[in-house]
Amino acid sequence: MLENIKKEFSTRTLVLIPIAIAINIAIGQLVIVLKLPIYLDSIGTVLVGALVGPWAGAATGGLASLLWGVIPPPLQYAYAIPFFYVAMVIGLMAGYFGKRGVFEKESPRWLSVLIGAVFFFTLTFFITAFLNRSTDETGYTTYPAPGALFSQYAVFFVITIVVGAAIGYYLLQKGGYAGLAGLVTGAVAAIISAPTAAIVFGGVTGSGTDLLVAAFRSSGAPIMASVMAQGSVSDPFDKMLSFMVVWLILGSLPARFKAR
Amino acid sequence: MAIVNLQNVTYKYPLTDSPALQNINLQVNEGEFVAVIGPNGAGKSTLCYTIAGFVPHFFKGAITGTVEVAGNESSKSSLHEWVLNVGLAFQNPFNQISGAKYTVYEEIAFGLENIGVPRDEMITRVEDALKLTGISDLADRSPYSLSGGQQQRVALTSILVMQPKVLVLDEPTSQMDPIGTREVFGVIRTMAEKGMTVILVEHKVEWIAQFADRVIALHEGQILLEGKPQEVLTSDLLREKDFGISRYTSTARKAQEMGLWKKDILPVTLDEAVEGFAPTTSTGSVHRLLSPEGRGKK
Amino acid sequence: MDALSIYVARASGLHHLNPITKFVLTLCLMICGLVLPGTWSSYLILLAIIVPLAIWGKVLSRLAKLVFNISLPLIVSVFIIQTLFWGKGTPLFEVGPFAPKLEGFLFSITSAGRILFIMADFILFSLTTRPDMLMISLKQAGLPAGLAYIIVTTLQLVPRFVAKANTILDAQRSRGLETQGNLYVRAKALLPLILPLVIGSLLEVEERAIAIEARGFSSKKVETSLIEIPDSKNQKKARVFFILSTILLIATRLIWLS
Repeated sequence: MLENIKKEFSTRTLVLIPIAIAINIAIGQLVIVLKLPIYLDSIGTVLVGALVGPWAGAATGGLASLLWGVIPPPLQYAYAIPFFYVAMVIGLMAGYFGKRGVFEKESPRWLSVLIGAVFFFTLTFFITAFLNRSTDETGYTTYPAPGALFSQYAVFFVITIVVGAAIGYYLLQKGGYAGLAGLVTGAVAAIISAPTAAIVFGGVTGSGTDLLVAAFRSSGAPIMASVMAQGSVSDPFDKMLSFMVVWLILGSLPARFKAR
Repeated sequence: MAIVNLQNVTYKYPLTDSPALQNINLQVNEGEFVAVIGPNGAGKSTLCYTIAGFVPHFFKGAITGTVEVAGNESSKSSLHEWVLNVGLAFQNPFNQISGAKYTVYEEIAFGLENIGVPRDEMITRVEDALKLTGISDLADRSPYSLSGGQQQRVALTSILVMQPKVLVLDEPTSQMDPIGTREVFGVIRTMAEKGMTVILVEHKVEWIAQFADRVIALHEGQILLEGKPQEVLTSDLLREKDFGISRYTSTARKAQEMGLWKKDILPVTLDEAVEGFAPTTSTGSVHRLLSPEGRGKK
Repeated sequence: MDALSIYVARASGLHHLNPITKFVLTLCLMICGLVLPGTWSSYLILLAIIVPLAIWGKVLSRLAKLVFNISLPLIVSVFIIQTLFWGKGTPLFEVGPFAPKLEGFLFSITSAGRILFIMADFILFSLTTRPDMLMISLKQAGLPAGLAYIIVTTLQLVPRFVAKANTILDAQRSRGLETQGNLYVRAKALLPLILPLVIGSLLEVEERAIAIEARGFSSKKVETSLIEIPDSKNQKKARVFFILSTILLIATRLIWLS
């Protein structure tokens, strides 16, 4: 297995990684200029995973996170640093899916439609559940039952399912496999970043042991809880888009580039 | 003594149907300055890569025939050994900057660090190389702050410092402005005059005509023509096969048809054209007519 | 120095220290600062250790300017949010629905101190250490050459890529690409900007790989280094001292907490 890992790090790969990290940052900033509500800061990482393999993808993700933290005026993006392992997993999964040809195959359109519909349905479900949470006497947060949610927001659910289906159709088109892989990766990313986010964003009740906790809690957002929710919602979508873009890119490359 | 010896070399890139090089037989003697011309897709870059060892070691693919440089066979060597004998520079100067070093001085030493040259020798070689190519004043600059011509000279210096036996240059001036072109040609000429074996792929035929010992015309992966610059560059065969030939040649050819060009051999450079036209008109007016700066003026 | 570094050259003792010494010091200071209890401990380290170091390195004014510029927005929001959104506590006054709490205010002083101190710690390091020199000394200490290559090259390439992205942005805009307007319009602008950037860059990878191969990048010989970064016994001892002190401090704190 060590041989497989070493094989991925050829000269071409070592040259590709800095370029991929630079792509991460350039596109991440482009998205800010265009004022779009997404990050799209992992396209380089996913690209390396797709083109080379899981270990190179993981290395790219890890290095990108660590370097992003120190690159621009120092420490402005320092919050990326504790999440470096998430970026590594994204690169790893991109490589895993890449080896299965996810970035090269075309999927049937109905799959894309299905993915879009299911994703937006799930999204709506979580948002409505979150918005309707309540605190009972002992201080625990309780969430309403699914049945109650559906009946209360029936129209809303139907609309979002249709919208999701349409988005799946137009956005994913034939890149359904890539989109699905991205969704799965994004979901995994959201899950494994939750513990760190909890330590970093939450758990502050004044015992004051951790600067990071304090700073991120305040700098992160107005309402901390919704930031957490937003993270777990935007991540799958963001990664789905990133995987899609990489699928498009690979489709536009001349054949000999894929023969690595 | 042939320092570069290609025998019956045929090569196909992976995933392609037609060979990029077919039956190439090429010998280059030590100290010779050989120019290679040809239309796009003729296989010029592939030829460069083959001599420099990147075909087949870097590109994989199917190769037959033998490639020998300085007595070593390419198939029996590895790429990292081969690059010590053959230096390669190409069009895009930006891509030849490693990115791993902050100053030109260190950038040039980069190759020597990789091959394990001791520090004292490294310093001597870098200083000599800087003087040779005339870029000592750029030593402390960041490679990324330089102009295209300067970067290309840094790239050449970085290769020359490795002391290769053969220098292969793939269109080094294609992306240069006139000043950069002049700077780069200056370095190449210096190396050629010092006795370096140079293989240069170029489009600017006027310059080749002045300095090359031999010209090879490549077409669709095969050697179409080979010989002295004067013969090859003015040959009718080139015109038929759609090579870029000197405008002086085409002008003189038309003049020849009109009976105005008296010499047997067609010109390639401006000076040759002026000399050939001299009996017909005054030298000054022809010079003005033919030179780029003079066009449009009376 | 434009490779994404705020390094300023000065003839100072701090600048001449081995980069690894400074790196270890920076990390240890940060850990110590986070471990120490109390509202004012960060300010103490800032004034007692970082400021004298900055004076030694002749970069105090620049350090102060940079730290305040970067930290100010963060600190302001820390104060606002922690004071206003603190849970249960003693209200200072009431403005409509908002009741700023004393505990929140005090806590934000602690937080601000920590922000300032960490920023100052890292910025001082960046001001007095060239990234490539740090990489060289790490290589001397055993860091794999490939990793060092990746890090330094990334630092040099990122500004160029951002510039390239801007060039593509301008070019596409002049071709009529709309980048302002509603969400749909802006989203449509993404692909025409991303695709040229990425595909163009991928085509360069091969040439760049060939270029460094031509310079012996894959050579099996043992690498030598043009630049040798001086180290001294005293610095080695100092590094060990920093690390041991930090561990001691953590241990003490853990014991004290339990």
